[in-house]
Amino acid sequence: MRKTLLTVIAGLASTAALAGAGHSNDDSQASDHPPIDRTLAFEAGDMWFTPDKLALTPGETVRFNITNSGQLEHEFVIGDSEAQMEHREMMREMANGNGHDMSAGHHGEGEADADNMPAVTIPPGETATLVWTAPNNAEEVEFACNIPGHYEAGMNGAIQIEGS
Amino acid sequence: MTKTKQTASPLTRRQVLKGGSALGLGAMALGLPPAWANPWGQTAAYPRGIESGPDISLAIRRETLDVAGKTARPISINDTSPGPLIRLKEGQDAVLRVTNLLEESTSIHWHGLILPPEMDGVPGVSFAGIAPGETFTYRFPVRQNGTYWYHSHSGLQEQLGHAGPLVIDAAEPEPFRYDREHVLLLTDWSFEDPATIFHNLKTGEGYYNFQERTVADFFADVQRHGFTDTAAQRAMWAEMRMSSRDIADVTGSTYTYLMNGQSPTQNWTALFKPGETQRLRVINGSAMSYFDVRIPGLTMTVVAADGQPIQPVPVEEFRIGVAETYDVLVTPEANTAYTLFAESMDRSGYASGTLAPRLGMTAPIPVRRQIADRGMEAMGSHEGMGMSGMSDMPDMDHGSRSPSSSTGMDHTEMSGMDHSNMQGMGHSPKEGMSGMAPDRADGMLPVGVAQPGSRLDRPGIGIDPDERRVLVYRDLKALRPWPDRRPPGRELELHLTGNMERYMWSFDGKKFSEVTGPIHFEKDERLRLILVNDTMMEHPIHLHGMWMELENGAGELIPRKHTLNVKPGERISALITADAEGSWAFHCHLLYHMDAGMFRVVKVA
Repeated sequence: MRKTLLTVIAGLASTAALAGAGHSNDDSQASDHPPIDRTLAFEAGDMWFTPDKLALTPGETVRFNITNSGQLEHEFVIGDSEAQMEHREMMREMANGNGHDMSAGHHGEGEADADNMPAVTIPPGETATLVWTAPNNAEEVEFACNIPGHYEAGMNGAIQIEGS
Repeated sequence: MTKTKQTASPLTRRQVLKGGSALGLGAMALGLPPAWANPWGQTAAYPRGIESGPDISLAIRRETLDVAGKTARPISINDTSPGPLIRLKEGQDAVLRVTNLLEESTSIHWHGLILPPEMDGVPGVSFAGIAPGETFTYRFPVRQNGTYWYHSHSGLQEQLGHAGPLVIDAAEPEPFRYDREHVLLLTDWSFEDPATIFHNLKTGEGYYNFQERTVADFFADVQRHGFTDTAAQRAMWAEMRMSSRDIADVTGSTYTYLMNGQSPTQNWTALFKPGETQRLRVINGSAMSYFDVRIPGLTMTVVAADGQPIQPVPVEEFRIGVAETYDVLVTPEANTAYTLFAESMDRSGYASGTLAPRLGMTAPIPVRRQIADRGMEAMGSHEGMGMSGMSDMPDMDHGSRSPSSSTGMDHTEMSGMDHSNMQGMGHSPKEGMSGMAPDRADGMLPVGVAQPGSRLDRPGIGIDPDERRVLVYRDLKALRPWPDRRPPGRELELHLTGNMERYMWSFDGKKFSEVTGPIHFEKDERLRLILVNDTMMEHPIHLHGMWMELENGAGELIPRKHTLNVKPGERISALITADAEGSWAFHCHLLYHMDAGMFRVVKVA
């Protein structure tokens, strides 16, 4: 069931990526990166990611197409668990500070944020793209949504980086 | 709490039920915790003490059991008190046969469940009650999921332990993930007879309250605030027939607070494996006690309120009103013990247990906080004026500086406040309405906006949001809008009223025995219920049969609840879809307040 769904989503995501290719920012971004080794479709729901783990080889460059099938905004951030925790604290501080939620999407498409973590914000029903190269100096990093509460409710997964 | 005893208990219970024998075997369960309070939770290899639907039989009796290590005479359900965990599945047709083995009439109300009115279990409203020796069969379709509870709705039986947890497993995946779950049922047990407690409340206000203000307090106040203000404050409390230290009217002086039927000394323990996410289903099944719940060292992520999913909120502490439920997730990473700590709101005691990787471990009990003083916090309008809230003033200021309320106010100390103007307080139109749209043409507020005079961004008395992150009603947001998106066609305003000295509690100044008829809801109408608390105590207001969508400023994503805590002096509102034809109970869920008259019937026709 989930597999079937995933195939459909993957199909949609690649369509979206093609449609998006006409717009400028995606192209210019992509050209900064090494060639894409793999394109992976991810689904972000309320409150989960599918798949919820991933294995890559060092130096592998991946294009993530993340579709938000939930009702709420989500983000897809890559970093080690410590950096994720810091990011989470920051998001929580911000939420507490102004009493509003995080809807004012502070991540641009495929941009790294202030902590230099690759991150993308995905509104409900949309697909966003993130290109990322697995580093040589880490064995495991996490992908996560750090909107307050989302990580804790289940929106996190491990990326194993296994030597080639 | 030994393993052999636990293994023995469910067999015993089943034999009792199968044989239909009312006598004799009850004593075998003596001293046991409720068997569902299994330390390994839902994923346990031996899930005992759970009555699983759709077909369930329950026997209600009065028997001698140990409570908190002492011999007591609670009301048991299937030989355990509090009762067994009832576990249903969304989509089932539940059949619950309840046999009354008491010498008086009894009942079970399924708290928070949407069901036909004749299955709601309120004697005199839904049905006649269950006479001694009789069996009543409840039949209803289960059309919801989440964490709920059940309890007697007859007299003061609930105080004797006639209550238990009710969990409905979801048909579809829930919007959060976890590895293991535990139920945390909080109750307040007394070795005094409930009728005696009620009599004491009637005859002596403050009977259970040993923390009255003294002459020494008075002089300390004079030093801090000056004589005139102190005297004015005194006069104010005198006029309201309240003592400012009436945080709770029944306290730890008679109550032993229990977690899953166990006292802090008995230390109920929930087991976890480090790194696993635990779902804690926290239920306040007490008669009179609000609790402040925390687990020092862990962040709790609140994922459901009153059984309904909400957008997850990470907090360090939450206040749970009587009859409310919250589901929280915790992920303990360390191989160590954590204290499950539920401090009573009036600080007269606590319930506690341990979350640990193995049995027999404990963690320190947190330092207990001092009792708070109702002081000006209770005055409604000027939130943040309580003992703890001063530093929060910037939070509450969005658009609240109407000339009348800001004149003469000095936010750094209480002495600048005008104590004489009580009538108008809490109702100034601009107060507390950050980010709201203008009023509609008919004078009603737009859907989802918090009422002026609400303090939904405040956790309440005696809890300091600066010390740690505390859940507030304002945090509760649905994941998606509830089905009925209509704006309300009308507003119905009810005042929560009382006279503490005479222990009279009521709606709109009339006890249940004094009202002439039910409150009418038009079938299928959408209405706004406005609750104004004219008293100096919290009241958890419960509507049977229909959800109340709490207008907490979350717009279309307002949360829906079965029980709403209304703080002293506060004014809040909820939207209701009156789709449940029939007669329904509507009342304060503080047991003795309900019994004293804070109860109405709502008729949907």
